[in-house]
Amino acid sequence: MIVQPDLEFIKSLKEAGGDTLKKCYQCATCSVMCPLSKEGKPFPRKEMIWAQWGMKDQLLNDPDVFLCHQCGDCTANCPRGAKPGDVLSAIRSYAYTFYGWPKPLAKLASSAKGLPMMIGIPVVIIFIMWLLAGATHIPSKEQFANIGYTNFFGHWEFKWYAKNIFFIVLIMVPSLGLGLFSAFMGVKKMWSTMAKQAGVTNSFRPSAVQFTKEFLWPSLVEIIKHNRFNECGTHLDRVRGHLPLMLSFIGLFIVTLWSLLKQDVLGLIWPSLHGPLPLMDPFKLLANVSAIALLFGIVVLWNNRKKAEAELDTQATFYDWFLIWEITAVGVTGLGAELLRWGGMPTLGYIIYFLHLVSVMMLFLYLPYTKLAHLVYRTTAYAFEKYRESQFVKAE
Amino acid sequence: MTDEQSTTGAVLVVGGGISGLTAALEAAEVGKDVFLVEKGASFGGRVAQLNQYFPKLCPPSCGLEINFRRVRDNRRIRTYSMTTVKSVSGAQGNYEVTLETAPRYVNSNCTACGDCSAACPDERDNDFNFGMDKTKAAYLPHEMAFPRRYVIDKNALSAAGAEAVKSACKYDAIDLDMQAQTRTINVASIVWATGWTPYDATKMENLKFGQSQSIVTNMMIERMAAPSGPTGGKIVRPGDDKEIESIAFVQCAGSRDENHLEYCSHICCMATFKQMSYVREQYPDAKIYVFYIDLRTPGKYEKFREARMADENATFIKGKVADIAIEADGSVTVTAENALTAEKISQQVDMAVLATGMQPNFAIEQAPADLQIDSNGFVISDPNSAMISAGCAKKAADVVTCTQSSTAAALKAIQVSRR
Repeated sequence: MIVQPDLEFIKSLKEAGGDTLKKCYQCATCSVMCPLSKEGKPFPRKEMIWAQWGMKDQLLNDPDVFLCHQCGDCTANCPRGAKPGDVLSAIRSYAYTFYGWPKPLAKLASSAKGLPMMIGIPVVIIFIMWLLAGATHIPSKEQFANIGYTNFFGHWEFKWYAKNIFFIVLIMVPSLGLGLFSAFMGVKKMWSTMAKQAGVTNSFRPSAVQFTKEFLWPSLVEIIKHNRFNECGTHLDRVRGHLPLMLSFIGLFIVTLWSLLKQDVLGLIWPSLHGPLPLMDPFKLLANVSAIALLFGIVVLWNNRKKAEAELDTQATFYDWFLIWEITAVGVTGLGAELLRWGGMPTLGYIIYFLHLVSVMMLFLYLPYTKLAHLVYRTTAYAFEKYRESQFVKAE
Repeated sequence: MTDEQSTTGAVLVVGGGISGLTAALEAAEVGKDVFLVEKGASFGGRVAQLNQYFPKLCPPSCGLEINFRRVRDNRRIRTYSMTTVKSVSGAQGNYEVTLETAPRYVNSNCTACGDCSAACPDERDNDFNFGMDKTKAAYLPHEMAFPRRYVIDKNALSAAGAEAVKSACKYDAIDLDMQAQTRTINVASIVWATGWTPYDATKMENLKFGQSQSIVTNMMIERMAAPSGPTGGKIVRPGDDKEIESIAFVQCAGSRDENHLEYCSHICCMATFKQMSYVREQYPDAKIYVFYIDLRTPGKYEKFREARMADENATFIKGKVADIAIEADGSVTVTAENALTAEKISQQVDMAVLATGMQPNFAIEQAPADLQIDSNGFVISDPNSAMISAGCAKKAADVVTCTQSSTAAALKAIQVSRR
């Protein structure tokens, strides 16, 4: 076997938190210590040597890289301080950039150098939209108490579809659309390379229904229940943060869907449905509970990360911190805007609401390139693992 | 310069194992006065505990006996067993050292007849055999103990036991009121040959040492294989004395590991190859599994490895054992990933041998003098202060390397004591 080391690849791993990877001397303690590694061909020892040798293709085709939850048990027991858990995290970071589309955007989201641009793009877009909407004035206290942020992008008399909603949809739907499309492209590419690597021929292919029923749905159930995460030893604490955070995202997703249905579909029939939700509305309650769960979760994860950096000498990387900052920003601005509305402070409220829109747009836009991409890539790897073990592949 | 012992420019050798004996003899045989102190009840150190030792697989009687004889015959060497260094003051060329000798409760009248031991009703754990058997509270440290004199473990001795041993002794050798004795000596240079202790295997929680009788250390195997050992030379599973059908050697148990000993102990691979021979002699068909990271066969030992690896019933797996599970039938299952095939392997065996490394004693206890000690506890020789290290106090090594470094240390000690 001729190994063609990709030096750029090794360098980028070192920057993304895998600076210890060259310390590995292949004792394989990690593969036995890993609570998630299955019988048969375990990880992360083989990934460590592939990474040392710069064997990029092997790693990008390897579902195990994405099945790692960075429990830290391998890192805690590593006799050399090679931190396999951190190295695998760095490989994932590289993979998200590699599979990302369009490339320039993926590249932009891969390092702290891109941060001003990453913030600048949504700031400019939303500000221009705000100017275009022609609603460039801050409401009085009385107005603000009544309408909240529902006239942020102004108001028109076309009662079937609110102007505000029109602009929010105009901004957010293409952002999310781009994010989801890019994620889909990446996942598709990853699946086909993994299938090729695993020697899967396509003589028996599952239908979409079979795929969902046999592979995707069981994976989602496992993820939501945190089955694998709960096997972790060293970083088990992260479950306390990740679980509420994930549930809050699901909660907010439901609220958003309902809001979309209510404002954009039902609103066309019953125009009175436009406007902010009353405080005791079940969806509003869900939204508020989710917001608090989100903030609680992110505080736990923030602290865990700080603790790992202090005690386990984990490298502080842009890849890890961007997502923590991003989610904190969404939570703080969202809840902040709501509190300022109750407090009757329109000017500050508008600024915070503006920042909330910016942070949400960033979440959508950069979903497939930043750490949030684990949402789609890890889920895909779960499904692929089940597929690989299924009769569809085994029967061949 | 003359002191109360009329010694001038004398050398103190701390530690009476193979390295200390060698350094003391080399210095004395060229005419230096030597003080040789040993904290144990007998000289001989770790070599005395081995069944066979490298390079020629001699029993320890082979090398130790001749050395003991040379020491006995050399009037320039003063030996102190059960003695530790309490403090060192002064400077190179003129050190004042305080020694403390712990009470042996047996005086020099002892002829090692063994009557006290026979009469003694009390027992103690035998640390020489790593607790695998017991001795009487009045005991001879080991078969070839030097000085050949009994010792009493007063903590293990009952009142009735005290009466029994005293009345059994025909030579009035037992003195249960003996006190610790302090003496001061003046020396020009000090050789530290303080040796090593097997790394505490209970510290590797995943290897579960101490939780099953089937998990033993490599030094315990040496004692089992030794004719004078707890099983009379038979390698069997402690506890149920089961004969061995399968055995796993767990290399680097706590070595080359920054959470334990960060260095390679140099000789554990060779010890395992040697112990494979012990097992093979007793059990021609036993399955032997060796789990390793790298097989290190320093110096001339490569042929030794080749011969052991040709064994058809031996399997070598490149992968460190990271988990040992205790089975209900008394056996254990060791788990590793074979890095050559990338497959996880779980192997059930009758006995697992942890190849634990050497920890220098100054990593465990405070040095009694101002020495240069590295982060692992090894003593760094400093000729300027006439503090010289030798043997495993200097670095983890086999016996040959130790005797070489001890000869070198003796030469250095002589040179600096003449300045």
